[in-house]
Amino acid sequence: MKLGMVIDLGRCVGCGACAFACKAENNTRNRADGQSYNWADFLIHSEGTFPNTRHMVMPVLCNHCDEPPCITICPGNPEKAGKGKPYRALFKTPEGITLHNPELCVGCGDCQRARGCPYSHEKLGPSSLNGETYSVISLNPAEDEAQPFWVDKASAIPGGTSSGAEVSAKVGTRIPAMNAWQGGELQPIRSDDVIEKCTFCYHRVTNGLQPACVEVCPSQARIFGDQQDPNSKISQILKKEKTFRLKEEKGTKPNVYYVGKYSPRA
Amino acid sequence: MRLTRREFIRASAASAAWMLGGSALAAAQAKRKAGPVKNAFVPRKARPSTPAKGEWVASTCQGCTQWCAIQMFVQGGRITRVRGNEFSKSNHGYCCPRGHLIPQMTYDPDRIKVPMKRTNAAKGRGIDPKFVPISWDEAITIVADKMIQLRTAGEPEKLLYLRGRYGPITQDLLYGTLPKIFGTGNYFSHSAICAEAEKMGPRFTQGYAGYRDYDLEKTNCLVLWGTDPLASNRQVPNTIHRFHEIVARGAVITVDPRLSNAAAKSHEWLPVKPGTDGALAGAIAHVILAEGLWNREFVGDFKDGKNLFVAGSTVAEDAFVEKETSGLVKWWNLELKDRTPAFGEKESGIPADQIVRVARTMAKHGPTTAVWMGPGAAMWPRGTYAAMAVYALNGLLGSIDVVVWEGASGPKLNKFPSKDSFIDELAKKGSKNHVTSNRGHKDMPGLQTSSVNNVPNEILKNPGAVKVLLSTFSNFNHSGTGADRWNQALSKIPFFAHMVTNPSEMTQFADIVLPSTHNSSEGWNIVTNMSNGYAYASIQQNPIKRVFEGKQEETEVMWLLAQKLKAKGFPNLADYYDTIKDPETGKSASNELEFAELVVRFISAPIWDGKEVQKGDAPIKGWAEFKARGMFSGARYPLKKGWGGKFKTETKKFEFYSATLKKALDGHAKKHETTVDDILAVSGYTAKGDLAFVPHYEVPKRHGSMEEFPFTFIDYKSRLNREGRSQNLPWYQEFKKVDPGDVSWGDVVKMNPADGAKLGLKTGDKVTITSQAGSITTELKLWEGVRPGTVAKCYGQGHWAYGRVASRDYAKAVALGANNNEILVDDYDRLSGATARNGGFTGVRITKA
Repeated sequence: MKLGMVIDLGRCVGCGACAFACKAENNTRNRADGQSYNWADFLIHSEGTFPNTRHMVMPVLCNHCDEPPCITICPGNPEKAGKGKPYRALFKTPEGITLHNPELCVGCGDCQRARGCPYSHEKLGPSSLNGETYSVISLNPAEDEAQPFWVDKASAIPGGTSSGAEVSAKVGTRIPAMNAWQGGELQPIRSDDVIEKCTFCYHRVTNGLQPACVEVCPSQARIFGDQQDPNSKISQILKKEKTFRLKEEKGTKPNVYYVGKYSPRA
Repeated sequence: MRLTRREFIRASAASAAWMLGGSALAAAQAKRKAGPVKNAFVPRKARPSTPAKGEWVASTCQGCTQWCAIQMFVQGGRITRVRGNEFSKSNHGYCCPRGHLIPQMTYDPDRIKVPMKRTNAAKGRGIDPKFVPISWDEAITIVADKMIQLRTAGEPEKLLYLRGRYGPITQDLLYGTLPKIFGTGNYFSHSAICAEAEKMGPRFTQGYAGYRDYDLEKTNCLVLWGTDPLASNRQVPNTIHRFHEIVARGAVITVDPRLSNAAAKSHEWLPVKPGTDGALAGAIAHVILAEGLWNREFVGDFKDGKNLFVAGSTVAEDAFVEKETSGLVKWWNLELKDRTPAFGEKESGIPADQIVRVARTMAKHGPTTAVWMGPGAAMWPRGTYAAMAVYALNGLLGSIDVVVWEGASGPKLNKFPSKDSFIDELAKKGSKNHVTSNRGHKDMPGLQTSSVNNVPNEILKNPGAVKVLLSTFSNFNHSGTGADRWNQALSKIPFFAHMVTNPSEMTQFADIVLPSTHNSSEGWNIVTNMSNGYAYASIQQNPIKRVFEGKQEETEVMWLLAQKLKAKGFPNLADYYDTIKDPETGKSASNELEFAELVVRFISAPIWDGKEVQKGDAPIKGWAEFKARGMFSGARYPLKKGWGGKFKTETKKFEFYSATLKKALDGHAKKHETTVDDILAVSGYTAKGDLAFVPHYEVPKRHGSMEEFPFTFIDYKSRLNREGRSQNLPWYQEFKKVDPGDVSWGDVVKMNPADGAKLGLKTGDKVTITSQAGSITTELKLWEGVRPGTVAKCYGQGHWAYGRVASRDYAKAVALGANNNEILVDDYDRLSGATARNGGFTGVRITKA
């Protein structure tokens, strides 16, 4: 099995539903200190001169590369793993997913840097706010509250309006809309001092469901499946259509492919 | 990562050379053939993991005008995720990004959790109301006392009710009942600030005054005009679903002064100069007629088959025999004969060759061309005629009731009992008072709607006219143009009770605040709407535990208020509500929550009570099945419904010369003992004589001279706006960039780089935008998606209240970004009564802040 995704840019309208579904499914926190925590995000680009202006959007996510430098660079925690045991926090699963085991993560952030993931940044700057840059991997800093929005006790109107801490307490979960899936190594909410990234919705796809971003797409622009199954839709598309991947020259061999054109205007 | 130029070329304009010859592609294909994964990484099996357990419960999104049937994933009494209702024939089981924001809105930390009372008598922007929490009973008692005082003084008409977002059926319990039984003619819907002017197009051509529906499955040429339905307006999920198919099989053309989502993905983008849409539509119509490209089956033909439509020449009316239409030759003679492509170019800025090309493309696809007109082509002074001009193209092409539909009518529902016997003499007298409305005044025909945005003007003129204001799910101080007028007027109203979810700008002027439920997740309702050929009724059923003490405004709060009024000697409202009985038990409600659910059971009973088989979906057996399914769709819209002389116009035909508008204007002129020419002149239109009754180009009205205010301001809507209510969500701010040209966690005004160079302004500069109405300060972005001479900014941000995210500092009333409505001038399309917000009617100047 080799899971992968094709994103049809002709179908995509850049609406953002996939990114919201990802945040809802995986309980990712709000942006802070150059970390987006967006496992699904967008590259956005306008070019040309008025009125011959073109605008395009590319949904982006972890490429679940065949040759993932994030794993190579991951120091992991050999001590905690035990002698002779796999010790890297990032690893490939038999399904082809690049997964993360927070128990072995030391929060070093090496995987975010240039030699770690060519699609990530240690810290995102303002250019990420208009879709010029993004990160696949985000870091939860050491000794930092992982869901600060929901522990904030401040009320706009004391006694009259609520607070993050009060809503989550009343609802009874750490974040009120928490999607409480059950994890193995993975946890529905991350702790401090570990990185986090897209899992291809491991908890869903190993149980017969599609990743959240795939399921909700109103134009069905994302096709997910086993590239080694000749009958799968994804392998049919990869066979028939002209596709491309991001930063081929880095040799990472992504398993996220793009097909089609966002704009019909050349 | 940052994408290289090369990769963008691949994605946006993918050249054949790259596609065929790229080494990367070859490498990719080689890899695929290689079989099993071979890499340096020994796979490691992960420990098992399972998805969240819960259930999908039907509900209805009310984040835009479409009101999609949705499902919410409920885990242990909490809402966590959202999707389209799988049974929906309109959205295919998908919702647009708005739907996904419902859980975030439900659990917004800035929700009002309990009723509140103002303790600071001073009112104004930035003045702390010093709200303190009170009980529901105390709050309702205070409101009831104020209302009883009006009745006791014999002046119930001094109650004003302003409706914001509502339930289409349950609105009848408040908007449709309270003013009548209590006794005031002073009540308004928000509709006039929304999109009412666009409805003038179909109304005065086809006799249909509503939103239209479109058969996108069959549409081969889609013309999106003044609307971006990949983001807003109507049936967003269905449009997203079908758009790529139309691009692949036909043509997509977008007319929009800024580069919208649809414009980005269209074959043709026509960045019309704001307000000149009537000239562009006229030029397209001119080409269609002059080149003989109209649809003969719908429009008819010349008697001898020879096309006499020659530019600049009039045609004898009896030379043409029309079929389903009326007044084509009159339209040509009065307007179109001179609307050449050259004229279109001069006015609209769209090159004549593009006008001709687009007209031919539209004509090539004939009746499978859908001209989808939206508020951007109509919501401006004189906009009625642009709406008619754009919409009339559907008539020329024969698309009416082929791919452009009136929309299906819905399943049968129960209507609330008559309230007539509960209306006393005082109420009858009070209901005749319309002191806060200017609808029907000589200079405000208001043929479509009452101008709610004019209410503050009337209050400021007559400070004693309103003593008690009730308002629900509204925030006119943010959403109305000339926004500061609302601040001034509301400061003058002695008592205001606001029913709302968050402490909004308008709430800052309230004396009593009643927390509302977030109705998709916490309310009970039946919501009706239509799209994709089907009308439907869809449920809201409060499947989650409510976090705070919010109550649903149209049912629960009204029931409590009615009981309190009864206890204080005015029983009529409570007695009327008691006539609404549960369809199975025959009992009336004994508390407010029972009332909310009973009302839903009452309304929807014809769908599930088994008494009558309705056309449409398979019959539903009982209440439990209806709740589980959550919706019922009626029969599909019948094709060519109005053909054969069945349009609801004066002539029963599709009118290019609108006898229907003539009748309406004659009536209004007669009422004021004057001429139609006079009415149009005082209402700010330029047409005289018969031109007033045909779709035509009116020169755009502009507040502010080109010298003093050299830029034309373009307002548009975010695809993440749940009307004005989603800006307090971190997710909204994080993904604001999905609006083309926009920047996350910010609110930029977009200017063409050529203008930026002239003014010495660059991206990131703080700028002040000044109009005749006021000024706002925000960040500048230079962007090629706007025409030189125009600037564009999205509506939604600029909340100086609402909560911790929407406002940079709630306590100090500092906004994130700036509100367009503070610079947009208070003006109207006076024929419809709709508020102006498009069409370049506001000139601005931009200076470095």
